[in-house]
Parts: sequence; C-alpha cells; structure tokens
Amino acid sequence: MTSMTSPLDRRRHLTGLAFITPTMLVIIAILVYPILQSIVLSFGQSSIDGTAPYQFVGLKHYAALADNERFWNALWVTLIFTGLSIPLELAMGIGLAVLMNEHFRFKGIARLAVLFPWALPTALNTLMWRWMYNTDYGLFNAAALQSGLVDRPINWLGDETLAMGSMVVVAVWKTSSFMALIILAGLQSIPRDLYEAGRMDGMTRWQEFREITLPLLKGPILVALIVRSMDALRTFELPFNLTDGGPVTATESLSLYAYKVIFDFIEFNYGAAIVVVQFLVIFAMSLLYILTLRNKD
Amino acid sequence: MKFTLPILATAVALTALPAISQELVLSIGSRGYGPAVERNLERFKEVNPDVSIEWNKVSDVPGETRKLYVTSLTAKSPTPDLLAVDVIWAGEFAQRGWLEPLNGLLDDETIAAFNPSLLDAATVDGEVHALPLYADGIHFFYRTDLLEKYGLEVPQTWEEVLAASQTITEGEGNPQLYGFVSMWAKIEGLFMNWLAFTNGNGGGFYDAGGNVAVNSEANIEATQFMVDLLHEHRMTPDSILNARPDDARTLFQQGRAAFLMVQDFVHAPLSAENSPVAGKFDFTRVPYFEGHEDANSTTMGGWFLGINPNSENKEAAAEFLAHFTAKEQQLAAAVEDNRAPTIPSVYEDESMGSNDVLAKFGGNYDFGVVRPSAGSGSKYPRVSEIMQLEITNALHRQKPVEEALNDAQEQIEALLAE
Repeated sequence: MTSMTSPLDRRRHLTGLAFITPTMLVIIAILVYPILQSIVLSFGQSSIDGTAPYQFVGLKHYAALADNERFWNALWVTLIFTGLSIPLELAMGIGLAVLMNEHFRFKGIARLAVLFPWALPTALNTLMWRWMYNTDYGLFNAAALQSGLVDRPINWLGDETLAMGSMVVVAVWKTSSFMALIILAGLQSIPRDLYEAGRMDGMTRWQEFREITLPLLKGPILVALIVRSMDALRTFELPFNLTDGGPVTATESLSLYAYKVIFDFIEFNYGAAIVVVQFLVIFAMSLLYILTLRNKD
Repeated sequence: MKFTLPILATAVALTALPAISQELVLSIGSRGYGPAVERNLERFKEVNPDVSIEWNKVSDVPGETRKLYVTSLTAKSPTPDLLAVDVIWAGEFAQRGWLEPLNGLLDDETIAAFNPSLLDAATVDGEVHALPLYADGIHFFYRTDLLEKYGLEVPQTWEEVLAASQTITEGEGNPQLYGFVSMWAKIEGLFMNWLAFTNGNGGGFYDAGGNVAVNSEANIEATQFMVDLLHEHRMTPDSILNARPDDARTLFQQGRAAFLMVQDFVHAPLSAENSPVAGKFDFTRVPYFEGHEDANSTTMGGWFLGINPNSENKEAAAEFLAHFTAKEQQLAAAVEDNRAPTIPSVYEDESMGSNDVLAKFGGNYDFGVVRPSAGSGSKYPRVSEIMQLEITNALHRQKPVEEALNDAQEQIEALLAE
C-alpha cells in the first residue's frame, strides 16, 4: 500500500480516478445535490422564483408537521400500504418463482405473461384498473351485479376501507412478478444435487422447500424486500392515478401529500420538510434490512 | 437521387429565412370552449399563414391543468406561449408573474371592449394579464320525458327535486336509475356544488358583512341536505363521490339519472344526434331551498386566455390572442356552440336573437355567484382545498356536517390571517 508513491502506481491511481470521476459527478449532480438542497429548503423560507432571499427558520416547518393531522395520516397510509402489500407480494412472488422454475410446456410464454404487469408503466396499469373498479361501468361491479352477489354497485374506490384494499391489489398484481424474477434467479443458482441428497434421505416436497429452498433464498428475498419496500414507501403514481388520495385522504401517501403541498399550494419549503421525513423513514427501513442481512450471513 | 435536390433546396431556404415562420404553442382543453377552438385556429391560419400553432390539448379538469402550469411556469419554460386560465387562478397567476401584462402588447381599445368585471379578475396593479374567453355556470338539467310521464312540474326547489326523484325512481322501479347526479369527487366542482346548495339556502362562503361564514346555520342545513340526498334518501349513486363532470354527464346521457347538475358544456354532447337523451331533456336554474327564490345559486366560472411571460414570440402570441378573443369569433362561438361571450357588444348583435339556449344560460347567470378567489388571492387554492376536504369529510360521514364546517371555518380563518 505504501508503494503508492511509485510513478507507475500513481499513474494507475490517476487512471482509476479518471474512470470514476464522470460517474461520481453524475451521482453528485442528480443524487447528492437534490438531497442536500431538500434539506436546506426544509430549514428555511424562500420564494419559488428566487426573488426573495432564503431565510433560515430552523425547525419551524418540522414543528408544524408534528401538529399536522394530514401529515400523520399520510405517514400512516404509507406504512399501512407498505405493510399490507409487501408480505402479499413476497408470498405471491415466491409462489410464482417456484412455479416458473418447474418444467412444463409453454414455460417461456408463462414467464413472459408473468412479467407483463411489471413491464407496463404504473400509470397505465393503474388507469386500466381504475376502469375495472369503476362503480357504474366497471368489470367487477358488472360481474357482481349480474351474478346476483350484490344488488347495489360496490364503490371500490370511493369507500375508505375498500379503496386501500383496491390499491394493495393493484400493487400486488403489478410487482409480485418483480419479486418472482429476483427469487427465480436465486432458485436457479441452488445446486440440483442438494435436492437429490434430500430425496435420498426421504424428504417430502414440503421439507425440501423448507429445509433447502427457503434458507438458500434468503439473500435474494432480502434484496427483493429492500427494493420493493423502498418503492412502496415512495408510492406516488398508484394513488395519484387510482384515487388521487381519496376518498377524503384514505389513500393519500406521503409522496402524494408532498406533491400536493409543493405543486398545488406552492409551498416548497414545507413540502421539502415532508420529503426529508420520508427520506429518513426509508433510510431507517433500509438500515434495518441491511443489518438483518448482515446478521443472517 | 431525384428527391435530393428539392430537399436540399428546402433545407437551405429554411435556414436562410428563419424569421418568417413562427411557432406558437396554445394550451387549452378541448371540451370547455368546444368546437370554437378548432374553428378559431382555422381562421387564424387563413389570415396568418406564417404562424403555425400547435394545440396542446390539456385536461378540462381545472386541478389537473393547474399542476401542469405550475410545473412549467415555475421552471420558466417558454412553452406554452398561450395558456387558458381558469377565472379562479387569473389573479393568482398574475400576482406570481406567470402572465405577461397585456397593456403594452394590445391597444387599449381592444382591451376596453371586454366586460370590465371579468377583466377585474385578471387585473393586478392596474394591468390586465389575460383576456376573458367565455363565461359559464352550473345548471340543473332534467329529463322532460320522465317528468311528463309522472305528471310532474319542473322542480324549482330542492324539496321538489327530492319529491320528484322519489316519484320517478319508485315509478320506474329500475335499480340502475338514479334521481340526481353531479360532480361530488374531491375537485373544484364539489366546491362549486356546495356554493350552489348553500347560497340556495340563503347561506354562502361569506356572511352579509363579507366575513367568512362557512359554518353558518344555513350552510349546515344545506350541507346536511347533500349528505341526506346520498345516504338517507339514496337518490344519488354512491359513485357520485368519485364523479367528475363528465362521469355525471355520462350517467345522465345513458338515461340512468333524472336530474343532473353540471356546467354549460354538457349541453352540446347531450343534444348531439346520437345521444340517447337528445330531445328528452331541458335545463333550468339551479334549485333553491323553499323560501329563497331570489337566492344566487348559479355558481359561475369562466376561462381566460393569457400569454406566458417567457414566451419567445410574445408579439405573435398577442396577435393570436386578439384574434382568438375577437368579437366575430365570440359571436360564432355564441351562436353555434352556446358559449357565453365576454364582450358585451356581442349580445347586441341581431344573430344572437336566434339562440334560445344561450339566452336561457344567460337568464341563469342573473342568479350567479362567484367563488371567493378574489378575496383570498394566491391563498385561494388552499381555501378551496380545505373546503373540498371538509365537504368530502361530511359527505363520507367521516365527520358530522357541523364539525366539518366548523373545522373548515377555523382553518380558513387561520390561513387568511397568516
């Protein structure tokens, strides 16, 4: 390590630096700068067009947030949504992955079909579901009414409890395939001879799954969980397009509320405070996962 | 090879004469001003073949378009060059410097031709920042055939509306048929609805002294009537809570509602040749509660057209603006599409006499009430949001009506005192 001073090593060092500089610059520009800017904004008062100078106001916006019922509601909605959708997605994801790992005819087509919801943009998926949920013309109510299950249309997106459930269904439908894909990659890296050995010892299929498959899938599952939880904690397009946060504020996520504060009420500083809190929540969640991952290894 | 030469020649010509052709981007919805937009674009093209206009068809749900504008105007984007602005934002946008003052760009005579009280909505520091394009309001549409079938008069009061709805829905016995539909999703239209109901009961946003009086006795009563219409009398579909104007219009047009309360624009699609309710509907003034026949219950709206201060072609944009809002164009829009003109002298034109629909719209505007956007200025979006949220709370029975309106009153007082 001390040989850094030799001309050859110095050149190597410089070359390495030259290679990472562009990437670092891009990361600083699109990642670090906005985060710092949001933090700075959240502690001050400024005008949107820059006509009035930035004024430091300390924790004023955060104090206001603590008193803001709508903010707590948004935080709660976000956590509930994450808490409901992630376990369901995981269960579905594992199921789909195991299924896709089996040998059967049309396996290629089946894999493609499973990936389809993930490949489509969320906004498009959501609009599609919004039509199916539509109280007066939607598919679900048409089926429910015609089969005689109900005699008055169900207001899927207009009822406080149903709206959250409807939103979770769309999320699970869309992202289970992503979970499945990561888990499938993990499945395929499990050596076949482990199962052979298991069979020789007289393991049942369920025992194989519990004793061999699941333990070896821990890594991929944790990766999938981290990525999806971060996504769910930031969810925006889904409530924005499906319910616009309604009814009342029953599906208003943190991102959606921050967006409304920033773009509807044009209060950038207050909105920045919400975003910073959201950042901390996601950060804490990621830290938790990473620590779990390290312990398990 | 044959084509190379002409292409080259065109390319050279284009680079050599960059100043001749100008491009403008116009941002306006396709529903609000209807066919008039297309017609005006055609006419402008005939007079100004050098200016090409790109029509950016934005949403007609004001809140959605507003988000788009806020993003591009905050970022100082040079497009759109011209933007349609809801009457409730005109003052706010002007205050924020998001609209170019027109006094230097257009001559005083052009500006002075417009209805002065409409111009006031877009005037800041004595300068006009946008020209009014058309005015509209909400009206009460009803099925003439259904009223006739049950021997009912056109209802004038909410009490009569309720009774008529009950007679019709019971008589028809069709679970797919509702009494009353409107736009009660959490949108600006809900606040317009609430103003229509409350003003129709002698209430409103302000009291007689001009103070905010959201939680007045009259307002609580009228709001409770809205809640009861939905939950107790079941005269509206549950989906009214997600309905935007077009959702309500669709139900009515499919023959699934006896009464509909939305803005002017639905008249054209409802009376279109292939419409199932064509010839079977008419409209009247927004109802009032018994004993309040003089109430101003027609919530008014309207749209303006203004110029983006960051536009690179302000002069061409001003020329287009003057053409688009000119008297001849407004007359055509009035006679052909029932859009209420904003230049008073248009009403004096003799061809106006032939338009009964517009005359009836105009009669309803005599009972007009505007939203409190002038009084709350740049805070209006938040005032409207508070109202939308608390009215929604009441309609979903998340809070008793009185509590919801008390909460709204408290929040608005705090906001306006800031």
